[in-house]
Amino acid sequence: MLDVIEPILFGVLALAIVGAAAGVVLADRVTTSALLMAFTFLNMAGMFVLLGAETIAAFQVLIYVGAITVLILYGVMFTPQAPRAYGLFFQKQTPAGALIAALAGLPVMVIAFAFRDTANIPPRGGDLVPLASSIFTDFAFPFEVASVLLLAAMVGAIVLVKREERGSGSAGPNDTTSPEHSRAKPVIGRARE
Amino acid sequence: MAPGPFGIDPTIWAALRLLIAVVLALFLILNGALLLIYLERKVQAAMQDRVGPYHVGPWGLLQTFADALKLIAKEDFRAGQTDAAFFIAAPALVFTPMLASLVVLPFGPSIVGADLNIGLLYLATLGSMGVLGIVIAGWASNNKYSLVGGLRSAAQLISYEVPGILSLVTAVLVTGSLSMVKITETQPGPFTNIFIIPLAFATYFIAALAETNRTPFDLPEAESELVAGYLTEYSGMRWGTMLALTEYGNVTVVCGIMATLWFGGWNGSGIDSGPITGPLLGLLWFTLKTYAFILVFMWVRATLPRLRIDQLMTFCWKVLIPLTLLNLAVTATLLIAFPDTRVPVAIANWLLLGAFLVGIPMLQERRLRRIRERLRAATRHAVAAG
Repeated sequence: MLDVIEPILFGVLALAIVGAAAGVVLADRVTTSALLMAFTFLNMAGMFVLLGAETIAAFQVLIYVGAITVLILYGVMFTPQAPRAYGLFFQKQTPAGALIAALAGLPVMVIAFAFRDTANIPPRGGDLVPLASSIFTDFAFPFEVASVLLLAAMVGAIVLVKREERGSGSAGPNDTTSPEHSRAKPVIGRARE
Repeated sequence: MAPGPFGIDPTIWAALRLLIAVVLALFLILNGALLLIYLERKVQAAMQDRVGPYHVGPWGLLQTFADALKLIAKEDFRAGQTDAAFFIAAPALVFTPMLASLVVLPFGPSIVGADLNIGLLYLATLGSMGVLGIVIAGWASNNKYSLVGGLRSAAQLISYEVPGILSLVTAVLVTGSLSMVKITETQPGPFTNIFIIPLAFATYFIAALAETNRTPFDLPEAESELVAGYLTEYSGMRWGTMLALTEYGNVTVVCGIMATLWFGGWNGSGIDSGPITGPLLGLLWFTLKTYAFILVFMWVRATLPRLRIDQLMTFCWKVLIPLTLLNLAVTATLLIAFPDTRVPVAIANWLLLGAFLVGIPMLQERRLRRIRERLRAATRHAVAAG
């Protein structure tokens, strides 16, 4: 029974992933794209569950759907929405896009079908303990490198934001935390009135 | 695959079990929401020296049923300029993760949808998915108040997820498992996790209040400043799904997590008494513990005023996150240093909790004093100049 259900689930998930991914590129509006991207990520998580890697699936949803898509939507809401302006940019290059997709897709398909008969590897990684111990023992160095990279990116983002703020010379009106702003404008202004 | 009861074919039983579970979960959410709304109104009324609903049915018990019927019978209305697809999708996007999180809640011994070995991670994941629906609701409403409500909600929920998950991780370190059933089974005695890691409970409680949009963290739906935020354009059963069902469902889920992680879940007297009475008594204990927390949530709502957005963010990023990180580091270190006993962890946690409870009012007072001095100096300066 399971041998029938699993290919069906795989087919549904694969169709949903490819369809939603195409929708991300072809959709007219950024919001639609963002939501479809979340849907793609959810289906990817479903694939991980099929592979027996529930932990990775949970992290996939936690990080990509719960955090990254929300942040993208957050950014989208602060930008003006011109209908179709975004979609047309991509939709003009259909032939070139199809050619590149075919060129990239062929080797992937060849490689995928080469693995057809060796699919009986027992699922690993569903349990948290082997995953955690392999991250902190066998792959400790790559893991640390990745964390340092993320830390550097975070520090860089903060530095960029701070520099911009100093250049324009004014912080937000609600910034009561930094001492110089609260000393300068609002308090004295109100007292003079 | 395990054979089903009553000689049912295992494959049919698997599908049947799924169906029964979903129907039970829906039943629980719908009735739980009705009960909790009634309870909330009655409890708040009692705290504010009012009577509360009393006209419909005995003690007003049928009031929420009448309200629900009214909501269902309402016209399916949508304002003209809203974004149709997203507007309709948003309530479902908010409701589904909440419904799915009921799968791993351990209601009683052998009364659990699925004992996932990553149960707690699954719950955290679903908790983070609800934000998406709220942001979409705010955006699709095409209304400035709704948009601000949705954005506030995204900022608040993403921020408070961090201390919430860090507190959960501390509890996981102590119990040694992510499975909700195993976490419950590690706390059979009277000394449950609340005596070992009280600070993690305090920080999780605060984060849970924020994640369920309850007062004092209900800024996304603030009635007085945002005319109910992302809910402004919603009416009828869409409003009912988003506000009543989802909010009270989420409250039930986080209270269930608190009852399981810190208060031993279904553990109580008489859970070994028999194959039928044991699970039922366990269910009773779990329900009592969960509802005790829900009552505390209502108590908080009747007591505290709403925070301002900058206070909310400051408290999360400058107080809660450093504190939970420190707690996590201390707990992990002590657990490795003393693998056989939990007493050092408990002592450190109680000390940190004391420091938190004493330190916050002191810090707050110092900050207020500084602001007042600055104001006074500025006024003096202005008077001298003018």
